[in-house]
Amino acid sequence: MTRFGRGRLRRILLGAIPFLVLGTLWQMNAVYRWLAPIHMPPPASVWSAIFTLQEGCPGLLDALRQGSGCLLTNHILSSMGRVALSLVVGLPLGIAFGVLAGIHRRLGNALEPVGVFANAISGIAWVPLAIVWFGVGWRTTLFILLNTVFWLVFFNTLLGVRGVPRVYEHGVLALGATRWKVITQVYVPGALPSIVTGIRMSMGFGWRALIAAEMIGGDRGLGFMLFVSAQEYKTEEVFLGVLVIAVIWMLTDRACLVPLERWTIERWGLVWRPS
Amino acid sequence: MSSISVARPDLLRSARARRFWRHGGLELALVTLLALALWTAISASIARPDRYLPSPVSVLDSSRDLLWKGILPNYLGQTLWRLVTGSLIGIALGIPFGILVGLNRTVSEMCYPILNFFQSISGIALLPIVMIWWGTTEKTVFVVVLYTCFFPIAFNVLTGVRSTPRIYVNALRTLGASRLRIVRDVLLPGAMPSIATGARLSIGYAWRAVIAGEMLAGRRGIGWMIFSAQQVDRTAQVVLGMALIGVLWILLDRYVLRPIESDTIQRWGLVQR
Amino acid sequence: MYDGEFAAVVGPSGCGKTTLLNILAGLLPYRHGTVQVDGVPVKGPGSDRGVVFQEHAILPWRTVARNIGHGLELQGVPRQERRRRVREFVELVGLAGFEERYPHELSGGMKQRVALARTLCANPVIMLMDEPFAAVDAQTRITLQEELNRIAIATRKTILLVTHNVDEAAFLGDRCFVFTRRPGRLKATVTIHIPRDRRIWKEVVADPAFTARRDEILELVRAEVRVE
Repeated sequence: MTRFGRGRLRRILLGAIPFLVLGTLWQMNAVYRWLAPIHMPPPASVWSAIFTLQEGCPGLLDALRQGSGCLLTNHILSSMGRVALSLVVGLPLGIAFGVLAGIHRRLGNALEPVGVFANAISGIAWVPLAIVWFGVGWRTTLFILLNTVFWLVFFNTLLGVRGVPRVYEHGVLALGATRWKVITQVYVPGALPSIVTGIRMSMGFGWRALIAAEMIGGDRGLGFMLFVSAQEYKTEEVFLGVLVIAVIWMLTDRACLVPLERWTIERWGLVWRPS
Repeated sequence: MSSISVARPDLLRSARARRFWRHGGLELALVTLLALALWTAISASIARPDRYLPSPVSVLDSSRDLLWKGILPNYLGQTLWRLVTGSLIGIALGIPFGILVGLNRTVSEMCYPILNFFQSISGIALLPIVMIWWGTTEKTVFVVVLYTCFFPIAFNVLTGVRSTPRIYVNALRTLGASRLRIVRDVLLPGAMPSIATGARLSIGYAWRAVIAGEMLAGRRGIGWMIFSAQQVDRTAQVVLGMALIGVLWILLDRYVLRPIESDTIQRWGLVQR
Repeated sequence: MYDGEFAAVVGPSGCGKTTLLNILAGLLPYRHGTVQVDGVPVKGPGSDRGVVFQEHAILPWRTVARNIGHGLELQGVPRQERRRRVREFVELVGLAGFEERYPHELSGGMKQRVALARTLCANPVIMLMDEPFAAVDAQTRITLQEELNRIAIATRKTILLVTHNVDEAAFLGDRCFVFTRRPGRLKATVTIHIPRDRRIWKEVVADPAFTARRDEILELVRAEVRVE
């Protein structure tokens, strides 16, 4: 399949059509006022909301440093910063515990129901308790995010490690490998496709949980911005926020996670299936 | 990977019991007891347990009060009702949409990106907008649940129909089947596994959306219960609600959704690659 | 076993041949008796006893070359030396040109050759093989048997092969240990006196000495299966 051949161009063009249709309808609504602006703000007002929110912002560097007045970028950086932090902490912990639980049958059997239950209490249901513990603010949202990321990565790693055929371990033991080498050279690589799927899932669910947590129990971030703007009936800001969330997620998923997942799985000789 | 049905039910029951104990049943029981013990210990050792970590006993205690007043069943009922109505309709709309779009290659290539786009905007993120439109009404939550369910299943069904091997379609065409017949005999069965998986995913997302919707839109239900309980410092109720949510989801997922899904895949999965 | 000997363990399915091999490999504990390699008792798996399994135990995420060199990698052999030795064994098993391929691109027979090369490359004292050719088709099997024979001549390794295929045992083994059915016990030892370099299927099939021995083993094994 040619990557940049005519097929791909055709797909891009076709895929753009519904967006163009929607965009046109949206603009027409701004002109003909089928729906009131407070319900469906005109595209122009959504665009200018960017600048309204960034009004007090001195410059790019201040925006990056989360200076005051750069409202939009502050919220974006807050949310993304928390995501990054939860990955940095949650991923290694989740993978480590997952590997441990996958290798030791008893431990795995013991931790698995804990994980199932923790996952079942979906991220959002943890928010009120998190507020009790950490108050409204970034700690709550970080906790929710960490919770989501950790358990999903743990689970997928556990399954991945369990799925590695025992005979690989035996084969490598017969070559003189130590226990540690067996873990690093057989189980971790063997579980890698599942681990990457787990990362992707945890990012998907985590991002959703983050927005929800910021809405309900946060004091900054994109979710918080949505909530506040909605309270003030500034629909154009809400629209802007939703668009930003969608774009960020699509960029992260399609540009980083999906190719990563695909590369890992295809390298193992498996057939990659969009999940 | 096919299952063999056993004709002796009494044998099955004891076999299942044996399987439970062999496959980690002991660990499950031990872990539950250990967790409860740990919980009680921590709760007893911190200052103000009633605020920060009520003991399991006090959680159960609070449930007694709510049950007695009939509040708990009421809330449970409301939440489940929203979930069921929203997801059933969302799925009922999503499946035909996915199939129709999947029939034609050009149409499906056209719709794929936009479906993907809307799938990445979670229903929860749309709550503020929907609240501006319809306020904090039942309609708001319903619409959000509907939206949350529609896209994952439409997307999955679309992919499922597209990935039905061409040879089956061609085989039927050489037998002189009409378009409608092909849909009925090949594409629909071929899409069944995707429908089942998509439905499970959709309901999973919808469950989260219902809880969030109740919290934000203030509609009475389990989600609302834990949110408002936190605001009046009734942490025991919060924990109770969380436990209920967890248990409900486990029951729903493991004993309803997943069995239906694997059953469907088993029966129809032969058509897939 | 003697140094440089090729021994075959043959018996009906389920008699415990694989269990025996796993014990020798150090993957299973044992309660009675002793297992010693050059006088040293066996306590666990180790690089002195290389194992070729029936299932393809080569790692799917490593190329052919990296799989073959795995043993040397674990032993800490520097990269240049490793590459040289890997090349040697790639040639030996006839996989030249496939060094950078991944296992999923290879056929079953080729995968087993990689497994064989991996074990040999790590230079074990004794090589244990657990029904290595059970999962390949008959034609490939005969080819692989002759190749294994050739490799045995070239490397002069001590090899123990477990199989349920009597032809295979008789063709490859200097000594064939015949086991009873479960619980498996050593029933008889049959010695095949044909020199290694004359073990070619076409020749051996016409040799009455071979067929006599082979039939003897076959009868011994059949007797175990028949008594039901």
